[in-house]
Amino acid sequence: MRLAWNRLAMSHHLFVTSHYRFAFLPSRFRPTHCEATYSVLLHVISHSAKAVRCHGNITRPDPGTGIRLHFRDSKGELIKTVEAHDGDDILSIAHEHDIDLEGACEGSVACSTCHVILSPEHYNLLPEPEDDENDMLDMAFGLSETSRLGCQIKLTRELDGMTATLPAATRNMFVDGKKPTRH
Amino acid sequence: MAPLKLAIIGGGPSAFYVASRLLSLFPKDEPLASQLRIHIYDRLWAPHGLVRYGVAPDHPEVKVCVFPPGPPVLSNAIPLSQNCTHKFDEVAADPRLRFFGNVQVGPQTPPAIAHSLPISLSALRPHYTHLLLSTGCTVPTLHAALPPSDRTIPALSLVHWYTQHPTRPSPPPLHRTEHVSVIGQGNVALDVARMLLTPPDVLDRYDVPASVLDVLHRSAVRHVSIIGRRGPLQAAFTTKELRELTTLPGASMLPLAPELVASPPAGTKLTRQQSRILQILQQRAQTTTTTTPGAATAERTWSLDFFRSPTGFTSDGRHLALAHTALDERSRAVPTGATSQLRTDLVVTALGHHADPESAYYDPASGHLRTDRGRVLDATGRALRRVYASGWAATGARGVLAATMIDAYAVADAILGDHFGDSSGAAGAGCSDDDDDDDDDALVSSSDVDPESVPREIEEGVRDKRIVRYDQWKKVDAEEVRRGEEGKERERMGWEEARDFLTRTAAW
Repeated sequence: MRLAWNRLAMSHHLFVTSHYRFAFLPSRFRPTHCEATYSVLLHVISHSAKAVRCHGNITRPDPGTGIRLHFRDSKGELIKTVEAHDGDDILSIAHEHDIDLEGACEGSVACSTCHVILSPEHYNLLPEPEDDENDMLDMAFGLSETSRLGCQIKLTRELDGMTATLPAATRNMFVDGKKPTRH
Repeated sequence: MAPLKLAIIGGGPSAFYVASRLLSLFPKDEPLASQLRIHIYDRLWAPHGLVRYGVAPDHPEVKVCVFPPGPPVLSNAIPLSQNCTHKFDEVAADPRLRFFGNVQVGPQTPPAIAHSLPISLSALRPHYTHLLLSTGCTVPTLHAALPPSDRTIPALSLVHWYTQHPTRPSPPPLHRTEHVSVIGQGNVALDVARMLLTPPDVLDRYDVPASVLDVLHRSAVRHVSIIGRRGPLQAAFTTKELRELTTLPGASMLPLAPELVASPPAGTKLTRQQSRILQILQQRAQTTTTTTPGAATAERTWSLDFFRSPTGFTSDGRHLALAHTALDERSRAVPTGATSQLRTDLVVTALGHHADPESAYYDPASGHLRTDRGRVLDATGRALRRVYASGWAATGARGVLAATMIDAYAVADAILGDHFGDSSGAAGAGCSDDDDDDDDDALVSSSDVDPESVPREIEEGVRDKRIVRYDQWKKVDAEEVRRGEEGKERERMGWEEARDFLTRTAAW
């Protein structure tokens, strides 16, 4: 069970929000049987990655032949290392491998939901973002010096070994909003 | 798990994103999946809220999440991936979700929609264990000195006009309007300005109703002033919308006074967006209209009028009186004492929106529902059991679609967190212990509900062909696309047309 918690913490921000959600509660309200209470939920969530996603119509290379890309969560923990073809974009690769990266506008540079943070040495190899990508990055949450939109980054051989870190997903009222009203 | 039967009031993006999250956390092949039901009620007959009735027609890429399958009409303009099943349709295809369009739950601030079926919130109670209010911000915030009149209209009326919203506001008198003053400097202000400035021929291929195009083709508009009481660094518009306006064909921006766009003193911390907006404006300030490529032939002009606050019309009714303003030490706009007048034909107020004050749990101070991390609070600040709010109804009218999505996912997580807490006998988070299910004022039932039941009024409404289901909407949607002539995204239908179409095709 402990293992399941850890895996969830790495891969799924629902855990993070739930964790924060209980942290503010007076101890008598805090679930004392966290694992029991949530075991069913965990079970369900662990299956959620299989839910139908919008795949980017890419194929996987034969193992050992593709360009390696590491996905990490916002805490830097490795989610998984995958291999992809020259020309595949990070959003499509994420969807192909069930990485929890959104792409609300389906790659048309009209949103910032596929924001990723790249390893600096690889970021520097990329051409400058176009204006439209920069305009969307203005609105991304958890922006860093090496932020890009995943849908705009196509892999090349020289990017082999790049890391794409998912930003902290919750810039919302659950984590950094106002304190709850208690009485 | 105890049954989770959720009624969502409002069928906009937030509602669909919450539903999407819940349904995907309980995939259909899960044993627990059968315990989940979601019913979405929308006061409009068509789903998707602001995506259909708010997003500017020339921004089809924002609506991509609800685009019909098949080749996009504007294939060169919209690089969308063909294989993607779009999200809201995918959500609605789940048999556990039902959509009831054209149903007004509870009271609303006029203008009312005459054809929508009224039902009280309490009529839903026996049928649902959970309630989610995703009713958005439907009421425009007005300017105290500029109430709506024959020459002052809220931007929302203009947006509703060009999206053919069921409230059907009358068209603006553009044939006798040369100068428009837009009050406010957010993205809605820029959307409105762009719609008025764009050559109508460009708009022809987008999702703009033919009747709207007629008015735009006869428009006499020559200039749009976009007026704000503070400066470039405080403006609410985003970089994309500003850049779009500065590169609009056939319209040029009047140069800005260099001191307005001077870089702030060293040590001032600018956000990334602020510096990029300043950069765009600095480029514009250095460019006079005569040196802008194409400016000589530009038919229309626009300007950003910073540090101006309207105080009303002058006595002749033809000029807008403006108080000049400056920032105080807390970045608030204060009058400098100087004033000026601006000759104008039409004023459009774009000052934001708030939730409907008629809605239950409305908080006048914030302009949206009283909530705490997704949970609705009563007047004493106590969280109501199993009653939630999401989207603009909960957060106020701000943020782009991505923000709405992230908020919706968090609310879905809160619903599940509380639900699993409830079912194990632990106190629901944020609820007090003595909050009993049998409270007379409870808005939802305990777990003892029929998973398929709906209120009698809704059953009757479906039978009387007053309520639109999602599969019926999909038929209308396909027909709208078909009616769009060669090269046009779609031709919208109003309620009467949609109803006649559904009757003729026996789709009811």
